[in-house]
Amino acid sequence: MYIHFMLGQTLAIARNTFREAVRDRVLYNLILFALLLIGSAIFIGELSAGQEAKIVVDLGLSAMLLFGAFIAIFVGVGLVYKEIERRTLYAILSKPIGRGQFLLGKYLGLNLTLLVNVVVMGIGVMLALLYARRTWDPLALKIWPAILLIYCELLIITAVALLFSAFSSPAISALLSFFVFVIGHFSNDLRALGDAASSAPARWLFRALYYLLPNFSNFSAITATAHGMNPDARAVGGALIYGGLYAAVLLSAAALIFRRRNFK
Amino acid sequence: MKTDLLLAVVLIVCLTGAVGVTRGLTQHRRDPANNSGEEQLYLNGRSARRMSLAFNGLAADWYWMRSLQYVGGKVVQYEDEHHGQFDLTSLSTLDLRLLPSLLDVTTTLDPQFIPAYEYGAVILPETNPDAAIALLNKGIAANPSSWRLHQHLGYIYWQRKDYARASEVYEAGAKLPAAPAWVTAMAARMKAEGGSRNAAREMYQHLFESSGDASVKQMVEHQLARLDWLDERDKIKDRLTQYRNQYGRCPATWREVTETLRAVGLEIDRTTGAPLDPSGIPYRLIDGGCDVDLDPSSKVPR
Repeated sequence: MYIHFMLGQTLAIARNTFREAVRDRVLYNLILFALLLIGSAIFIGELSAGQEAKIVVDLGLSAMLLFGAFIAIFVGVGLVYKEIERRTLYAILSKPIGRGQFLLGKYLGLNLTLLVNVVVMGIGVMLALLYARRTWDPLALKIWPAILLIYCELLIITAVALLFSAFSSPAISALLSFFVFVIGHFSNDLRALGDAASSAPARWLFRALYYLLPNFSNFSAITATAHGMNPDARAVGGALIYGGLYAAVLLSAAALIFRRRNFK
Repeated sequence: MKTDLLLAVVLIVCLTGAVGVTRGLTQHRRDPANNSGEEQLYLNGRSARRMSLAFNGLAADWYWMRSLQYVGGKVVQYEDEHHGQFDLTSLSTLDLRLLPSLLDVTTTLDPQFIPAYEYGAVILPETNPDAAIALLNKGIAANPSSWRLHQHLGYIYWQRKDYARASEVYEAGAKLPAAPAWVTAMAARMKAEGGSRNAAREMYQHLFESSGDASVKQMVEHQLARLDWLDERDKIKDRLTQYRNQYGRCPATWREVTETLRAVGLEIDRTTGAPLDPSGIPYRLIDGGCDVDLDPSSKVPR
């Protein structure tokens, strides 16, 4: 009964966060995305020497990741800050709602916004692909496992943004989150540096960074998908488990910090 | 209101001025194509891959389109300078020094980008065969199951008259699961009669069938027409020799040998009686009627 009550409260915060994102016109990004894709699908056929399908998928999924990361970072870092600035946080926390619960609700709300974005963008990529090919192309269905992995990566980025925003200003949080996004894509280089390092401390440092920082190469399936090659079920399953675990780590850390934060 | 108008005027005047200055500077540069087009790439493939984060496929597409535009720009430049139509058999006349680097970056960013290897296999052998071989070996290493890359590499070795290597490459390609049966036959043919016209014809026909690129098909059609012309030249020379042996002189006009040429299956021009080359242009008699050559207006490459 109590758990049901707690869940209801968390989902109410999530719903409000989603409504707020819609009111902030975050979803306008979809119009820009659709225009970008339709425009590119029309012109790319002329420039690509028969590679329209590959380029539409590369462009579509890359734009999905980039736009999604921007939304996750810029909306994510403002989730807590806005509530503090508008002093609505005091009203919320005066009710029987835990701080961790509040963070989780905010996180789920933004994830719902991102889910709508990703699904609509995915349909946009499908339509652009079908327009470019002028006929049915199996690639239109093969893009979805890659989209699932992109969404999973965005869930981690949102959690990173939320973690930084739990103790820092929005500008710093956005900058740090962006750094994590970049470093997360250099994870293979970190491992290579660790292997190549001559001194033991350096080797340990790079290996520690490799395992501790988010490894976004687990979610990189865009290029292979553009060639019609789907990641195997084990790789997708592993990436989803990794994403869930890593997001849980980040949210726990954010909750730990947020619980100790003094708002006076 | 006045301020708004003033600002709008300033905006338009300054923008017009900026456009004018840019145009002036562009025209002032002596050869803008050579100044900007031939600059070495800032990034090598490995650095570009590292810097592209998760967007390596998109970056590969960009370099791919840049490669196409680079070659396209050279073709347009050639046509402007020579006032004529360009075809892929004249590739050696183009200075494509940047193309190997562009294709290398493209395929490092996306090692499964088969069309980029195939494009290099068609364009590079004429200008830089070593780069073409290096590109295809890289492609085979990254895509070991692609028999078509073996076909292209075998074609390059065949063009270099290295029939033993061509045969080896075809043999390796023939072992791949999806390879069609003719790849095995080509391996044997390269070993037995690599330099023959029949081997060349078969090579081009398979290249024509397996390629989806219109420009490659056009190039292959030209090469097949060239082989047809070489076959026809042999037939015509044979008949001209027979005529000379019979009459003690070479024919003064085509009319004197029209019937014998028609009998060996050559197509004849109705007005002049001359045999027609594969592009439909009448051949011309040379060396006092003892030899045959293509007309200068013929579209068949020599």
